Amino acid sequence: MEKILLKNIENPNSADIAEYMKTGGYQSLPKALGMQPKEIIEEVKKAGLRGRGGAGFPVAMKWTFASADPKFPKYLLCNADEGEPGTFKDRPILEKNPHLLIEGMTISGFALRAEYGYIYLRGEYPAAKDILNKAIAQAYEKGFLGDNVAGKGFKFHLAVHQGAGAYICGEETALIESLEGDKGQPRIKPPFPVNVGAFAKPTVVNNVETLSNLPYLIGTGGEAYAKIGSPECPGPKIYCVSGHVEKPGVYELPMGTNLKDIIYSHCGGIKGGKKLKAVIPGGISTPILPPDKIDCAMDFVNMPKHGSMLGSGAVIVMDESVCLVKVCYRALKFFEHESCGKCTPCREGTGWLRKVLGRIENGQGMESDIDLLQSIAGNMLGKTFCPLGDGAASVVQNFIKHFRPEFEAHIKNKACSTG
Amino acid sequence: MFSETAKKELEEIRLKYPNARAALLPALYLAQREFGWLSPEAYEAVSSLLGVPKAITRGVGTFYAMYKHKPMGRNIVQLCTNVSCMILGAERLVDFLKIKYGLEPGGTSPDGQFSLVIMECIGACGTAPAMLVNDDFYENLTEKYIEEILEKYK
Amino acid sequence: MIKVTINGKEIELEKAVTVLDAARSAGIKIPTLCYHEQLEKYGGCRLCLVEVEKMPRLQTACTLMVTDGMVVRTETETIANVRRSVLEFLLINHPLDCPYCDKAGECELQDLVEKYGARAGRFTEEKRKVPESLEDPVLVRNMERCVVCTRCVRMCEGVQGAAALGVISRGGHSHIEPFSGGKFECEYCGNCVSVCPVGAIMSRLHRHSYRPWQLVSETETICPYCGVGCTLVAQVRDDVIKRVVPRIGTPVNNGLLCSRGRFGYEFVGSKERLTSPLIRKKGVLEESTWEEAISLVAKRLGEIKAKHGSDAISGIASPRCTNEDNYVFQKFMRVTLGTNNIDSTARTGYAGAQAFIENIFGQGSTANLIPGLANSDAVLVAGGDPTAVNPILGLQIRACARRGGSILTIGHVKGLRHYSPVELRPALFRETLALEGIVSALKNKKGLPGSNQILEAKLKDINTTPQEAAGACGVTEKDYAAFVDRLSGAATPAIVIGKEIVQSSGGNYKLFLLAAINYLVNGRIYLLSERANEQGLLDMGCAPDLLPGYRPLAYAEFRKRYETAWKTAISERPGLSIFGMIDAAKQGSLKAMYVMGENPVYNLPNSRDVEAALQKVDFLVVQDIFLSETAKLADVVFPALSWSEKSGTFTNMERRIQRVRKAVSREGMEDWRIIAEIARNMASKFHYTGPEEVFAEICKVSPLYRDLTYEEIEKGQSIYPYKGEPLRSTLEGISVDKGTGAVAASRFYLRLERPLFHSGTLSRKAAALVNIYSGALARISAADAVSLGVKDGDVVRVSTKIGSLELPVAIDGAVEQSVVMLTNNFEGKGAFGLAEYAVDPVTGAPVIDCNAVMIEKVER
Ligand SMILES: Cc1cc2nc3c(=O)[nH]c(=O)nc-3n(C[C@H](O)[C@H](O)[C@H](O)COP(=O)(O)O)c2cc1C
Ligand code: SF4
Ligand code: FES
Repeated sequence: MEKILLKNIENPNSADIAEYMKTGGYQSLPKALGMQPKEIIEEVKKAGLRGRGGAGFPVAMKWTFASADPKFPKYLLCNADEGEPGTFKDRPILEKNPHLLIEGMTISGFALRAEYGYIYLRGEYPAAKDILNKAIAQAYEKGFLGDNVAGKGFKFHLAVHQGAGAYICGEETALIESLEGDKGQPRIKPPFPVNVGAFAKPTVVNNVETLSNLPYLIGTGGEAYAKIGSPECPGPKIYCVSGHVEKPGVYELPMGTNLKDIIYSHCGGIKGGKKLKAVIPGGISTPILPPDKIDCAMDFVNMPKHGSMLGSGAVIVMDESVCLVKVCYRALKFFEHESCGKCTPCREGTGWLRKVLGRIENGQGMESDIDLLQSIAGNMLGKTFCPLGDGAASVVQNFIKHFRPEFEAHIKNKACSTG
Repeated sequence: MFSETAKKELEEIRLKYPNARAALLPALYLAQREFGWLSPEAYEAVSSLLGVPKAITRGVGTFYAMYKHKPMGRNIVQLCTNVSCMILGAERLVDFLKIKYGLEPGGTSPDGQFSLVIMECIGACGTAPAMLVNDDFYENLTEKYIEEILEKYK
Repeated sequence: MIKVTINGKEIELEKAVTVLDAARSAGIKIPTLCYHEQLEKYGGCRLCLVEVEKMPRLQTACTLMVTDGMVVRTETETIANVRRSVLEFLLINHPLDCPYCDKAGECELQDLVEKYGARAGRFTEEKRKVPESLEDPVLVRNMERCVVCTRCVRMCEGVQGAAALGVISRGGHSHIEPFSGGKFECEYCGNCVSVCPVGAIMSRLHRHSYRPWQLVSETETICPYCGVGCTLVAQVRDDVIKRVVPRIGTPVNNGLLCSRGRFGYEFVGSKERLTSPLIRKKGVLEESTWEEAISLVAKRLGEIKAKHGSDAISGIASPRCTNEDNYVFQKFMRVTLGTNNIDSTARTGYAGAQAFIENIFGQGSTANLIPGLANSDAVLVAGGDPTAVNPILGLQIRACARRGGSILTIGHVKGLRHYSPVELRPALFRETLALEGIVSALKNKKGLPGSNQILEAKLKDINTTPQEAAGACGVTEKDYAAFVDRLSGAATPAIVIGKEIVQSSGGNYKLFLLAAINYLVNGRIYLLSERANEQGLLDMGCAPDLLPGYRPLAYAEFRKRYETAWKTAISERPGLSIFGMIDAAKQGSLKAMYVMGENPVYNLPNSRDVEAALQKVDFLVVQDIFLSETAKLADVVFPALSWSEKSGTFTNMERRIQRVRKAVSREGMEDWRIIAEIARNMASKFHYTGPEEVFAEICKVSPLYRDLTYEEIEKGQSIYPYKGEPLRSTLEGISVDKGTGAVAASRFYLRLERPLFHSGTLSRKAAALVNIYSGALARISAADAVSLGVKDGDVVRVSTKIGSLELPVAIDGAVEQSVVMLTNNFEGKGAFGLAEYAVDPVTGAPVIDCNAVMIEKVER
């Protein structure tokens, strides 16, 4: 497949506007500006583009809601918080192909009639911040941003807003709170951001990868775009693979590429020829899969049928040397650290789960602890304010579901058998 | 106090937003740069510059992991230990930093050169284990590589 | 019409409400914790989760709005489990120190656990430990008990507007702290205490001295402090007020209180309370019996009246006493003693300002509803900080700002600084120019409405240019114009006027200008009132020129009515104002003075002069609850009952008549009864069995309170004029005296600080308030501190022509340059000891802004 999102990134100057333009950049923008905003949304709908941030929400639908709201100004926010452990798919776009994102945002901004855009960039990407700021300055200079974009009378301003280390700010309403200068705690929905979002105005939040699809999508048209990848969720997808594979890294492949193929053909299989123990297919919040369950097409529609989720497409591969109790414990440590504290089950539950997992890991677990973990997780699942708490609970449930013997062995032997 | 340059920077940042409150996160970053950490004085300065009550400012600041609430060493070593890094040996590196540099997680080396902060995922899982020293990424870490890197910052 | 089904029960609703409200309206209980009716929705605790058909997840009843056809279940097994598990989560880190916790018995968590379970603990790890924070005089924090419902934070930021509390850190480390981490350093309203569902933030007053269920006796009464007139509930054990709490649904304060109202009640139980009458014998005040004191007073007053005439006697009424007290007092002065020499400290601003405004806009024109401020689209504040003087009114201004209204201030108003006020800060003595500029600009912008010719005639000559006006405020013409635009663009503006304007040189002219602004923008005026019954005492006729019901003495027909009612002739000579009394005393023409519940030696400017004057009076009677500075000079002192020990009524600044009720008992007599006893000893027929009978007479004779009864008042909405006669609205010409125009000639001028935590004689005896703000300070601006070479805490000598004080310096961002702010709230360190005054020729208020001050550092 030709590279669309990661096009040209091996080129050391790929972040420069001249390079970007040399390879066809900023050509979709004038085309888009020649269309009606509605027509753009129509193309996106035809393309069947779904959000790449994790939930796979149809982009055109979100845009239609925001466009229908009569309030102005409207805001377009790019979710560049990329915090889901295992995920590093947006970073290459941000660092190596910033103009693709800027062009995508400008097109999207026009489609939404949004005058202001912000890139909510996680604080842990300081290099990307400088690169983006530079790229934005270049785009202003060339007239692709500003009061009169590409001379077509469209006003669009773009700025980077740097987060400060909070995974929850990836959740769109928390992101908005954080943009507004508050703690990143999710908001009550409804009202949804498309009606009452940033600064109480209609707001669309889309992921970096999602927005970066726009130049190509508009360039080729929605129908052609829809031919890439799986029919239910077309388009290219960046899979980021880490852990025990021969060639970890980012892979731009058609949406719906088989997980097994990703691991074994694209990434060269398990590192050192060891045995595969487990795969987390879409970032740490998505359900873990044992080796016999990884023959599945990686897209938003298909993965749930296999008991997991596409999430951010962050594949974490673990070989036989890994202690899953420890991984589970580490994951819960993460959730405990990132719980925003707003709702009771998540605030108290993540810590409690972590503590129980900690004692099992330490060899001080009790037989009843597995039931206790299940019960705590059960008491969290579906009762928290936002999906973060659900994620924490489901991690515990799925680890136990597929690897219960390992937990039992830990408790019985008062030690890890993995080493 | 904020230096004049910082004040000017803040004024520019302020213009990027429809209200002053939205400039709070960047203002806290500036304050951290100016004061070294977010001391009570730093919070008071930010509060008065943006007209946000100081208890609120502090509440917001303490929510975020990247704002520091105690004085830091000259360089901040931010080592990821999340799953992808962990399974590729990040814990060994934590031990190494402790033994070799006297760096405890959350602590500062006795010579004040380095502070160690344990990070959640920093988006370098494909090149794990990884860390940031101040604003610079270092990936595919080994003990030896860490030694080389830290040498540069001494 | 929206139909919803909850637990099989069909409920019809007029408009969309939350599922919680819908359920409550049908008598279905859903447990809540983070929800609070006064606060913004939160949805954090998850106790109120319910099942909703067609929704995949459980929903929080407190946030979900009903839609037509919605089917909700609140009592399924799933829901029972959810409640139990949420409570279990809340308990894992909650200390089980209920036996020691003052909240036990009214703790929402305790009640919920009792009802919904989570019995045996499955959490075996160590609980979170946070030490108790006792750094504050009035509040105590126990953060390990906190359930992070954030009700306190939402109250503090979103309702009180103090924003002193924040949730620090996140996740399981979340905890609530004031900025300092220890001491609150806040407005100490204690509204966080009201909303805390557990024992995490509590009052320190009477800590561990009661259990909530022992507070069996509760009395709903009115706060004794300011003119807002908040309803408060005094909760009593063993005849001691253990705490004071607000109640949701009361008309003015609806569940809120300020620091004075909540924590200022301890003066009631002060050891310094007077216990028996005192008579001066051989120069010393000695305890006596009631009989002796009463007959002595009757005898001496009789003698003086006979010898020197009625007008050699004067009386000072009290804005802290009830309407009943004040009515009887003025009647005693007029009927028994035969003089109109009756006045009060309302003369220091409120009375004259009100009369002035009413003269232009009609009687009752300043009686506007306090909660209505929140709905204005602009509020102009001049002459003080409403959030300190009338805190609960101040909250309504903050609410107005929160709802998007413009806040416009003349001068820097500290309590509104976080509400993006548009400020004009005129230089010293240049306020007039600033106001004239606004009037001129509004005139040009909006034109004259033409409805008030007399007023408009006076506006002709006001033509201050924007340059001059902007110059006086040190702003650009553009900023000045922006201020005017906000004001002129408002549809429902309100103008809030504080005493500082009234007490400044040319005060009456400034009032006129504010009235003109009000006229031009079609606004409404609020006059800040510092004392609980300042309005009521005026209603009662405690003024030298007004009979009860604001009937001018000057009109024979009004006199006649009272003569008939009281069966006595009333002197037609207007009496002396309070300042006239001081002058007469100095000159020796005033022979006797009767002071009820007031402390003129402290509460009038130039206090040493007042003291000297009162010393010259042959016979001084004082009724008070403390041996005040004035009482110390008296020949006879009567111990009075305090507000919480008697019944009656107060009338607030909205002219809402409200019931004051006895909460605790004490031996002694109410003020009115003491006076009635003396009157009877002087052969007047003052036969009242109780306050209700006094009130019945008031309602019979005063047109304003006509036909009102205690029963009627209890219903809650008795706002005057109550079934009254039409209000007088004739304009009798507007007299304005611009004065000569003061100019800043000295380096520093004295200004009065009116702090949130104090209000003169009473608050000085309320331990909690004294602990919050415990000593006099000289507040100056940072720039002046630099030029004087002093820093916070350095001691300085502040002197005026008439006196000097040594005080520590406090650098205060709210103080303008060239100003020294002093309070008049600390014994021996009162600002009024340094302030000379002149009387405003129109309003009769003291003008105190011309006191030049010297400051020197005292080297130690
Ligand atoms: C706890 C949590 C964390 C999230 N983190 C991210 C993130 O880091 N990046 C992202 O793009 N979306 C994240 N999301 C999803 C966003 O809420 C939102 O769905 C997304 O930004 C929408 O963009 P899309 O439609 O383009 O995917 C997160 C959601 C949750 C609940
Ligand atoms: S606002 Fe005034 S009346 Fe109300 S509680 Fe406070 S002091 Fe009392
Ligand atoms: S009361 Fe509804 S979530 Fe707390």
